[in-house]
Amino acid sequence: MDFSTDFIAVAGFVILFVLMLLRVPVGMAMGLVGVVGYSMIAGTGPALKLIGQTSMRTVTDYTFGVIPMFMLMGAFVSVSGVSKELFRAANATIGHLRGGLGMATVLACGGFAAICGSSVATAATFSTVAYPEMRRYGYPQSFSAGVIAAGGTLGAMLPPSTVLAVYAVITQQDIGKLFMAGVLPGLLAMSMYVLTIAIIVWARPAMLPAGAARPWSERLVALKDVWPSLVLFAFVIGGLYGGFFTPTEAGGMGAGGAFLLGVIRRKLDRAGIRTALLQATRTAAAVFTVLIGALLFGYFLTITQTPQKLTGFLTALGLGRYGVLALIMVMYLVLGCLMDAMAMIILTVPIIFPVIVQLGFDPIWFGVIIVMTVELGLIHPPVGMNVFVIKSVVQDVSFTTIFKGVIPFVVTDIIRLVILIAFPIIALWLPGRM
Amino acid sequence: MRPQTQTFRRLTLADRIIHVIEWLAACFVGIVAADIFISVILRKFFNTSIPDSYDAGRLLLGVLIFWGIAATSYRGGHITVDLLWTSAGPRMKRFIDVFATLVLLFVVTVQTIMLFDKVRLTYNDNVLTYDLNLPTWPLFAVAWAGDVCAVVLIAIRAWRLVFHPELLNDEHAEERVQE
Repeated sequence: MDFSTDFIAVAGFVILFVLMLLRVPVGMAMGLVGVVGYSMIAGTGPALKLIGQTSMRTVTDYTFGVIPMFMLMGAFVSVSGVSKELFRAANATIGHLRGGLGMATVLACGGFAAICGSSVATAATFSTVAYPEMRRYGYPQSFSAGVIAAGGTLGAMLPPSTVLAVYAVITQQDIGKLFMAGVLPGLLAMSMYVLTIAIIVWARPAMLPAGAARPWSERLVALKDVWPSLVLFAFVIGGLYGGFFTPTEAGGMGAGGAFLLGVIRRKLDRAGIRTALLQATRTAAAVFTVLIGALLFGYFLTITQTPQKLTGFLTALGLGRYGVLALIMVMYLVLGCLMDAMAMIILTVPIIFPVIVQLGFDPIWFGVIIVMTVELGLIHPPVGMNVFVIKSVVQDVSFTTIFKGVIPFVVTDIIRLVILIAFPIIALWLPGRM
Repeated sequence: MRPQTQTFRRLTLADRIIHVIEWLAACFVGIVAADIFISVILRKFFNTSIPDSYDAGRLLLGVLIFWGIAATSYRGGHITVDLLWTSAGPRMKRFIDVFATLVLLFVVTVQTIMLFDKVRLTYNDNVLTYDLNLPTWPLFAVAWAGDVCAVVLIAIRAWRLVFHPELLNDEHAEERVQE
C-alpha cells in the first residue's frame, strides 16, 4: 500500500508523540520513527544500514567528546563541594545587605553553572545549599525557592553549556563560538536577577531581611576557597576563546584540572571520584542516545522534506521574520510544559533551524535565543523542570508557592529575551572577535 | 531492646553484571579524559604527542557511550517525557514502564544487529589508525559488546519489571535493607 510523503510525515510525528508520552526514551522513539518512516519511502535495506552507520559515526566523532568531557568536569566540581564554597564566598561578601542572601544565591548559581553546565543540577544543588540559609534568615518560602529555580537556569547559558553544545552539534555550528555567545547574555541574566531582587527589596523592604555582617577576615577566607575554581574556569574558557584548545580539548583539560584541584585540595576521595565518573557516564550516555535518535530522525525529515515544507508554510503566513520568530518562541514556551530542555532542542531544532536560516537570522544568535526560551520553560507554570527538582529536594514547599516566587524572574526573563532580540550584538560581539 | 541490625541483600548474578558494566563505562570516561589531558599537556608544553591519541580518544569515546547506554538503559536513566506517567495510577504506571522497556529492547536489539555489520565491514576493510597503523576493529568490537550488554540488561529489566518489580526499586540503595 502506497502512502503519500506528507501522510508518512504527519503519521510519523503523531506516532513519535504517542511513543514519547508512553515514556519510551526520547532518543529511541526518534530513532524508531525515523528509521521506520525512512524505510517506508526509501526501502528497508537502506533504512537499516543507517542505524549502524549513524550510531557508530556519532559515538566515535571526536568533536562530540566535548559533551562527556564537560560533564565530567562538572561532576568533579559538584562532588568537590564547590557549590558550598561559592555560596559561602558570595554570602560573606554581600549577605549583610537586604536581599543579599538572594543576590548571593544568584551569584553563586552563576559561578557554579559556569563550571557545571546543567540547569537542573544547579537548581538541585542550591536547593540544599542556599534554601536552608535563606529560610534561617526569614526569607519567604516562595522567594527562596523562586530565586533558586531562576538561578538554576544560568547553567544553560554560561559556558560550558551542555545544551548549547548539543545545539552546535545538531546545527553544525562552532561550539567555541556558541559558548562565547552565551557569556554576555549569561552575565546580563545574572545582573537582571540581582536587579529584580533589589527592586523587590525596594518595594517590600521587610520581606528580605539582611543577613549577618561578616568580618573582613572571614570574607577573605571565603574568597580564598573559590579562587581555584574560578582560575580553572578562566583557564578553560580563556583557552577556548584564545584558540589554545579545541572545545573537546578544553573539556578534557577542564575535567583533568577539576580532578587535580579536587585531589590536591583533599576535596575528592575515592568515593567522590567514583560518583563523578558514574554521574558523567550516565548523563553522557543519555544525551548521546538522544543525539543518535535525532540524527536518524533527521534522515526522515530530509526524505519527507518536512523543514522545507514548514519553511514554505511559515513564510507564506505573511507575518514577517519577527512574527515567525515570535510564533516559534511561543511554540517553545508551550513545549516547555511538556518536555525537558535537551529533548526539546534535539527534537525541534532540526525542523526549525532551516526556517531560521531562510529568514536570515544568525544561527549563533538563534542558539542563544532558543536556549534562553527553553530555559524559561524550566521555570514557567504549569510545569517547570527546575520547580519539580526543587520540590523533590525541599519537601515542605508547595508547587504553587514556588511558582509564586518564580513570577518576578519569569518577567525578568521575558524582558531579557526582548533585549536580546532587539540587540543581537550582545550575543554576537564576543564570538565575532574570535 | 533488641538492637537494630543491618543485613545486605545478596547480590544476584544480574546485579554483579550491572555493577561491572557501569564500572567499565565509568573507567572509559576517565581514560578518555586522561588521554585528552595528557595529549594536550605533551603537545603544548613538551612539543610531543601520544601516538594515535586522536584515534584512541574517539574510539574509546564510542566504547564509553555504548557501555554507558547499557548501564543507563538498565537504570532507567534515559531522557523521557514523564507527563502522562506522573499523573497515572500504579497499574497504568506499570503498564507504561513495561511497554517502554519492551520498545527499548526492540530498538536496541535491531541497533546491535546493525552495528555488528559495521564492525564486520571495518574488519573486512582493514581500517587502521593514523599513527601506528593498528587495526581499529577491536575497539569497534568492544563498543559493540557494550550494545550487546545493553540488550541483556534491558531484557533483565523487562523481566524484573514484569515478575519482580521490587528488585528494580532497590538498585540505587546499594542493596542495603533494614531488617
